[in-house]
Formats: sequence, C-alpha cells, structure tokens
Amino acid sequence: MRRLLVAAVFLFASVVAASAHELGTIRVTARFQKGGRYEIDAVIDRQHLPPGFGASGTIDPRLGPIGNLTPGLASEIGGLVAASLNGVRIAFDGKPVSPPVALVLPEGGASSVARAPELTLRFSGEVPAGSGAFTWSNAVRLGTYMLTIRTEGEEQAARQWVEGPAESVPFVLKSEIVPMTRGRVARTYLVLGFTHILPKGTDHILFVLGIFLLSIRLKPILMQVTAFTIAHTITLALTIYGFVALSPRIVEPLIALSIVYVAVENIVTPRLTPWRVALVFGFGLLHGMGFAGVLSQLGLPRSEFLPALLCFNAGVELGQLTVIAVAFLLIGLPFRNRPWYRQRIVIPGSLAIAAIGLYWFVQRVAGG
Amino acid sequence: MRRVPLLAAAFVLLAAPLAAHDFWIEPTTFRPAVGSVLGVRLVVGQRFRGDVLPRNPAMIAKFVLVSDAGEVPVAGRAADDPAGSVRIEQPGLALIAYRSLDSSVSLEAAKFEDYLKDEGLEAVIAERARRGDSQKPSRELFSRSAKSLVAAGGVGTTGFDRVLGMTLELVPEKNPYAMKGGDALPVRLLYEGKPLAGALVVALSYDDPDKKISERSDKNGRVSLRLPQEGVWLVKAVHMVPVAGDPNADWRSVWASLTFEVPVAGPPSKPE
Repeated sequence: MRRLLVAAVFLFASVVAASAHELGTIRVTARFQKGGRYEIDAVIDRQHLPPGFGASGTIDPRLGPIGNLTPGLASEIGGLVAASLNGVRIAFDGKPVSPPVALVLPEGGASSVARAPELTLRFSGEVPAGSGAFTWSNAVRLGTYMLTIRTEGEEQAARQWVEGPAESVPFVLKSEIVPMTRGRVARTYLVLGFTHILPKGTDHILFVLGIFLLSIRLKPILMQVTAFTIAHTITLALTIYGFVALSPRIVEPLIALSIVYVAVENIVTPRLTPWRVALVFGFGLLHGMGFAGVLSQLGLPRSEFLPALLCFNAGVELGQLTVIAVAFLLIGLPFRNRPWYRQRIVIPGSLAIAAIGLYWFVQRVAGG
Repeated sequence: MRRVPLLAAAFVLLAAPLAAHDFWIEPTTFRPAVGSVLGVRLVVGQRFRGDVLPRNPAMIAKFVLVSDAGEVPVAGRAADDPAGSVRIEQPGLALIAYRSLDSSVSLEAAKFEDYLKDEGLEAVIAERARRGDSQKPSRELFSRSAKSLVAAGGVGTTGFDRVLGMTLELVPEKNPYAMKGGDALPVRLLYEGKPLAGALVVALSYDDPDKKISERSDKNGRVSLRLPQEGVWLVKAVHMVPVAGDPNADWRSVWASLTFEVPVAGPPSKPE
C-alpha cells in the first residue's frame, strides 16, 4: 500500500470547480406558477461546504425575518443562512425584488435541522406585473452550480450552470405566469365581460330583450335593469369568492326558464308589477352564478383579483346596456308610438323569446 | 501487497449521509434497439440513488460510446438532461465512457476521515495520521471515470472487456449480459492502465441498493463479485493518491464506476 501512496502523481492541467456534489454546494430551483406566484429553493449541501463556511455572520436585514428560524435554530445555523443568502439577488427585468424567505423544515421538524445533510431556504413571492425575464445571482464564491427553472404546465425544466457569483442568463418568463399590469387587467376583463354578453351570451341577450319588451318607458326598463344588475353583481362576487356554489346543471336550466318567464309575462301584462322587479332580481341572482362559472373558467389574476372582478362585471353591464340601446334604436325609436307596437312587436317577439327559452330549458335539462 | 481477505458484511450501513458521492452512468435503457437514440444520464448520489447531473461542458474530459464500429461522441448541449445522447448504429455490446476533469473539495477532518473509511481508503487514513494531518480539513482534487456497458439489440458477446484508458477503470472479464443471478463477475481494476491492488471494489444492485457486495482487489487488480440477482448493477471503486507540489490540494481521488444489466430473462446462453 505504501508503494501506491508514494507513486508518482501525474499533474494534469485541471479545471477546478469547487464542489464535490457536482450540482453545486448551493443549488437553486425556481418554480413559477400560473397566475404569477413563484418559489425559489436554495438547497445547501452541508456535507460539502468548505470548512468554516457559515461558522459565523449575521443575516442581512434586507432579507427580513427568516421564516421558521427560531432564535434557537438561529444560534445553530444563523451563520450558515447568512453566508448562503446574504449575496442573493433576485431580479425581474433587472429590478431586484426582496421576497420573504423561510427555512423549509426537514421531515423530522425543527429538531432535525442541526443534523440535516441539506438545508432548504425558500423565497416565495409574486412575479411583478408585466415582467419579461428572471435573473438570479449569489455573490458567495462556491463554484459552479445548477439553476433549475420550472414553469407550471411545462414538462421540461430549463437548466443552466451558473458560474459562481455571476448572474444567471435571463430566463424569459412565459406570458401565462406573468401577472398583467392593472391597466391591462382592467381592459382585458372589461372586454371579457362585454363579449360574454355580446356576441357570446345569446341567453343573456334574450333575457335583456325580454326586459326591454315589457314596456318602452324609461322607468320600467331602468328599474328592471337596476334590479338585475345588483343581483348578478352579488352572486358573481359571492360565487367567485366561494361563499355560494350551485351546480351549472341547476343554474343553466333555471336561466333558460327565467327567459321563458319574462317573455310570457310580457304577453300577459304590459305593466311593471312589483313582483316583476322582485323576480327579475331573483333571476339576476341566477345569471350572476352563470357569469361566475364563465369567469372562473377564464381565471382571475391573483394580484389583481378585485379589479378584474369589478371590470368583468362592468363589462357584462356594458354589454347589457348595449343590447338595450341597440334594441331601442332599431325597434323602440321607430315603432314605439305605433298603435300596433304591442301586437306586432312585443307579443310576437316575446313569443319567440319564450319559445327559444323553453327549447333551451328542455335542452339543458336533458343535456345536464 | 498481500491479498486482503474478503470483508464479509464488514460495512455497516451508516445512518448519516456521507460526504462522498458516487457517480455513475444511467442509460435510458441497457438494451437499446438498433437505430434508436440512447439517452445517457449522469447521476451523482449514494447507494445507487441520486440526482441527475445535467451536462456541464466545462467538466467533460471525455464522453463517448465505444463499440466494434469505433468511438463516437455522446453529444449534447450545456445543461441538457440526459447529459448526452447517442445513436445506436449496430447490434452488440458497447461501452459508454465518461471522464471528468478535476474538481476540488475541502472537507472538515471528521467528514473526510468518515468518507475514507467508507470507501476503504484506510491507507490514506494511515498516511494522514503519519503526517499528523488527521485533524486537518482535507484539500482534495477528484475526478470521475464512469463506464456503462449496454447491449445494443439485446445481443453481443465481445467488447465487454475493452480497456478504454480511463484514469481508474473497472474492466469486467465476463459478459454480464450472458450471466444469471448468483453468478460471479470477475472484474479487473486498472489505475493509469496498470492493475491496482488492495482497492475496495463494491457492487450494488439497483433493486437492493443497501446491500453492499465488496471485495479487495488482489495483486492483479482482480475481484470476483458474486451478484445474487439479475437486474441493473453498479460496480465502483475509489483510488486516492497524494498530490505533491499543489498549493491547494494534498490528495487526488479518482472515482471509477461501471453500470450494466444482468438480464432477467437471460439471453440465449453463450458460454464465454
């Protein structure tokens, strides 16, 4: 054996990286989720830290309080956390962000941290609205390490080797995971709400036409539209926030039935009865749940939840008002003073609406 | 150098993970179809389980597939996983070889001594003690010499014992693809082309990775490892030599590994 130990050693030209675990002493995985949340895990391979690394040092106050790092744990690994994280810079389009960071407790909980071969520190945050690219760097000199970037919905992770303290190659974020700016959100959801009525929402269009046909005077239209709007706003919000839930298999046939009802009542009476307003309010509650179903399918940006909801609702409202305005211009304005307005327009129109509503009702019950 | 007796169950499994990591090649299949593109993963870990190492061009000294048709590169781009891929052009046994450049690592004394013990490098422990270095942190350069034997088209009888000139090289002297569970696999260990005696050679089954089958190499660098079952196997050995004249390193280690499969069904038997 001695012979081997004194054997001549060939010194090859060597490229020296600084880690026994070839993935890096601190390897980093960033995960981006749809809607803009991200988590970045810095996994510290304690087995391969250079001797003395993180033996002391104070955590940069810029990092804020480290989650799960109790004073007891901090006395054990505070220096390690400081040495590992103080040099971290996370940036979107070159602008640094300071997301909160927490120690991920190993399986054995806080008591096993001292012996854990690896420590994971997790940054959690929201991608700033409108961001284009993500970069990561860590000024600590521990050699080359692997940065893995996963995007929700993408099977393949993006990987790159980061050379020591250098900044990573900018990672271009997929548009699905970048939250829109507030202005973009407002416009987008306003348009989504509007197009959900015009041209996509034929059932809502017919319901609104049913409301319009009852009476050509302003007051009945205004009262019905107001009742309808207040009602669908309430249930849209309540459903989206999860306070109420009704299956589309119930809501959709009832919406069809509400169309039948308003149309039939138009034929029976030309006057606005108090129960008509109450019923329109009730139907509004149903339509609101229908809107919520569509909106939840479209998805709402987490960071701009309320503005998106309000704009969608406003878009729906604009769509309805447009239906009424167009109906008034094409039908109301030219024919409202004709003696035959009710006989030739309101009654046949309502009959047609009622027939279509009834057909949808049967279809939705059978299809559901 | 006398032959060290076989260490029967000498290595108790340690509860704490070790600082030292094995390194091996995991092809996407050990019996690739002819004409297919074989993915070649590099894996770093312990007890035959580990993390995939994406391709790091800065660390590759050699990454090739060697068959009767010659040597072709295992190609890939930086950070690819699998680290490389290669088209299988013809049936028969082929060796994938990966050799890394040196990396450096420094470990605390206790961790380093633990790892030396686990890898059977008692001679290094003794030498450190003689130098009065036992309490000092290590300063080590290390490199990887990994091989994997695949059977293209599930066939092949020659080429398993090809010597590729790796720094530390495990050379099977029997075709594992013609073996059955329970057969002994003779393996020769070469360091810089010459037989290496007294080194601990360990075999691990992918299906039972906690059970080490190990033997010290004899004066001809040989071990005979009885592999109790079929399946995918890893054979590994580490050699460490002192470094002279390097201000940043006292020791240089080379990590050899060999992966292959002993087919479960077994091919039509062809005696060697």
